[in-house]
Amino acid sequence: MTTDQFVQYLMSGLTQGSIYALIGLGFTIIYAVTQIINFAQGEFVMLGGMLSYVLAVEKGLPMPLALIIAILVAAAVGAAMYLLAIRTARRASVISLIIITIGAAIFIRGIAGNRFGVDTVSPPPFTGGGSIKFLGAYIEPQALWIIGITFVVTILLYLFLSHTMVGKALRACAVNPGAASLVGINTKAMALIAFIIAGAIGGIGGIVVAPLAMASYGMGVMLGLKGFVAASIGGFMSPITTVIGGVVLGIVENLAVGLNWGPFTSAYKDVIALVVLLLILLIRSGKLAAAERAG
Amino acid sequence: MMLSWAKKRWSYFAVAAFIVFLALIPFKWFLGQYTSIMIFIGISTMITVGLCLLMGYTGQVSLGQAAFYGLGAYFSAILSKTYGVNPWLAMLIAAIATGAFAYIIGYPIFRLRGNYLAMATLGIGLIMWVLFNQLRQYTGGPDGISGIPYLSIGGFAFDTPFKRFYLVWFFCLAILFLSQNIVRSRTGRALRAIHGNEAAAESLGINVTQFKVKIFVLSSVYASLAGSLFAHHLRHVSPQPFDFLGSVKLVVMAVIGGLASIWGAIFGAGTTRFLSDEILLGFDQYPQLDIIIYGLILMLVMIFMPEGLFVAIRTGTMWLKVNWRNLPSIMKTKREEFPGRIKNFFERLHLTRLWRKSEP
Amino acid sequence: MSQPILETKNLSKAFGGLIAVDKVDLTIDTGKITAIIGPNGAGKTTLFNLIAGVYQQTAGEILFNGKSLKHSLWYARAIKPGLNKKIFKDKLQRHASAHMRASLGIARTFQHVHLFGNMTVLENIMTGQHTRSKYGFFAAALRLPKSRREEETITLNAMKYLNMVGLGRYAQQNALSLPLGQQKLLAIARALATEPKLILLDEPGAGLNALEKRELSDLMKRIREMGVTVVLVEHDMPLVMGIAEWIIVLDSGQKIAEGTAAQVQKDRKVIAAYLGEEME
Repeated sequence: MTTDQFVQYLMSGLTQGSIYALIGLGFTIIYAVTQIINFAQGEFVMLGGMLSYVLAVEKGLPMPLALIIAILVAAAVGAAMYLLAIRTARRASVISLIIITIGAAIFIRGIAGNRFGVDTVSPPPFTGGGSIKFLGAYIEPQALWIIGITFVVTILLYLFLSHTMVGKALRACAVNPGAASLVGINTKAMALIAFIIAGAIGGIGGIVVAPLAMASYGMGVMLGLKGFVAASIGGFMSPITTVIGGVVLGIVENLAVGLNWGPFTSAYKDVIALVVLLLILLIRSGKLAAAERAG
Repeated sequence: MMLSWAKKRWSYFAVAAFIVFLALIPFKWFLGQYTSIMIFIGISTMITVGLCLLMGYTGQVSLGQAAFYGLGAYFSAILSKTYGVNPWLAMLIAAIATGAFAYIIGYPIFRLRGNYLAMATLGIGLIMWVLFNQLRQYTGGPDGISGIPYLSIGGFAFDTPFKRFYLVWFFCLAILFLSQNIVRSRTGRALRAIHGNEAAAESLGINVTQFKVKIFVLSSVYASLAGSLFAHHLRHVSPQPFDFLGSVKLVVMAVIGGLASIWGAIFGAGTTRFLSDEILLGFDQYPQLDIIIYGLILMLVMIFMPEGLFVAIRTGTMWLKVNWRNLPSIMKTKREEFPGRIKNFFERLHLTRLWRKSEP
Repeated sequence: MSQPILETKNLSKAFGGLIAVDKVDLTIDTGKITAIIGPNGAGKTTLFNLIAGVYQQTAGEILFNGKSLKHSLWYARAIKPGLNKKIFKDKLQRHASAHMRASLGIARTFQHVHLFGNMTVLENIMTGQHTRSKYGFFAAALRLPKSRREEETITLNAMKYLNMVGLGRYAQQNALSLPLGQQKLLAIARALATEPKLILLDEPGAGLNALEKRELSDLMKRIREMGVTVVLVEHDMPLVMGIAEWIIVLDSGQKIAEGTAAQVQKDRKVIAAYLGEEME
């Protein structure tokens, strides 16, 4: 592989990794605050992407307005999901919550497929112009938007969590929900906020990726899974580790395909994320076994 | 006196009546037009029973059960079509291979908890599906394998839906009875103990992890047998039924059937199949209605009836038998309470206040 | 004097920085009723959990009937004996896990009862017979005669233990339908059904009224007559002083005293531990 090719794969890995990072942030924030894995996270992304197309192209709204509405709708769906599906299931077991979020995911997907059709659509990129040459590789302007927006969102999220009262309250819930409620923090409202933020970030992910990778009603499944893998690599702990996880996954995926390692033809690309996932789970399982032995 | 003896044994009568009813279905003068869908219901029930046992007794979700279903189907297809192995032998080999696979991945998986376990099963399911699609030289890729031979005994081949109906339901009922025996035995008690309280079960000498793996293997074997029967019924396998949606449909069946219920599995598989293959076909102009409804079912059932729909119906009818006289007054009270309860729900969210003032 | 049924040597358990059990040496004599007492947080339940195998100790050993509760992994024998002992010794040994200890003869009850709410009273006790029965999957699935015979035995044995605690008439009721006092008796019957040599009772008297506590004392005496050694953790002093033949006192994870009821009652350190200061 030439250096140019290497840089090309690196750049596409960085771009895709940024998307995985954004989705992973949604997983992380919900899991940290509520200990729930939101299987519908990918659908927030799908909503962002599909809505940005429908509103901007089919309904003819100005682009910035369409984008904002798409994000708001995704956030609203997140809030609705929490209030209607999760809060109503009081004291549900883990297995119940898993099934509920899966049900919500396919419900949202079904409604989207029904309303928006099954075709793949492509909203226009944020800025026009052709590929930019960068360090020997060609990169789409939209990819730069993706990387840039991911960076900004991560910084904003980090600042929010560490410097605002609400953010600190969220972190308190993440560390110890019991203690948090004892000092007066409304953990239910915090959970709602977590879902809203996850929805919004998911929506943002959708609107930035759709112009580049196209959007369809079924895009949420694989993206959601890869976002989960990104969050797993990051340990569901903090925005920074999640983003690192996403970027690592994106780069590994693209390099593996580019280097033609073993069976990794592009058809197997998705498998990489799954294999990484299973490796992480395997390591975790091994650690649990060792911990059990130590008592 | 005869009546009280009959009342105690009513479940035996119910099962016998059901079997007679079942046996008559394929006949044209009875319900013959449903033969084909009933074959699929029988196949789905086999997988659902395993899933119900797994989810009900170990409290763990399998989001990749379709993978075992697919393994059974593909093993049978490849061995009997490509290598000319006797279909019965192929079915046995498939079951053993699938069980062994489940055993190997079982131990590491069951050390994980809840969410991670679900993700692991999801991941494995997806990997299997990708492999079904990609390993072209063995599986025929997305087009799959065709021309799979029929199952036959001696010269008698199961070459019509009529004959296969009895074959499939023989297996299905056998599995249901076997499962019921297991649940009522020492093994079943151990499983129920694990479901009831894991720490106490361990203290009584029950190796919890080993049992969870055993049930996982059992459910995989059931799914594999179902897959083999599926292959010899359609005579064609492709990756399409074994994707994530396939696994989700199985979870829907299990959820409707009741997570720890055995006979409920028939109900779950039956209603879901009828929904997807009969009722929804008429709604072509409303695309994706099937997954909208599955999603709705999963959410509503798990929120309001976590033990599963079938079990809830059973509990509900028992409650009704006791309380039917009071029904009008109960309904009146509920209607009066309703607005208050809605108001209570929103108030308890404390949406207006993010912090409570600390009480003295 | 026969061999003590249980010994701990230098037993310690630390959770991160917190030392819950601190170098405890104790000896439980076979056939006696021994009580472990101490102020809250003294490490009593942790000690129980160590003996029962729920926790693994960070140091020290536990000997049951003179034998260590460690065992070698199945592949340890494949490695040459000399090498085995020196280099791999620790890595190839495992503490007997909780379920193994039940088969070895150590039974326990829980502070919070932990009954199986999805079973009847009788079925709870029948579950206790799990390690004393053998028929497996296939025999169960096919209802082989072996399985039916063993089920009969299990049922009879379970009824025996159920009657021993006086709950016979509740056999077919759901386990959680009983009031707390009877639930505790059920839990003890369930533990006895494992046919143990040693039974650990974790706060059996908590939540019982005076009459129930007297029944509990009688039950413990009957258990002793059966040849099972009883060890209990308890806070109710009159109950303990009335039934225990040997008392071990823990405070802050360490053993501070042991002896007969009379001896322990007069021990200065015990009084100080409970009252927080020396009494003059």
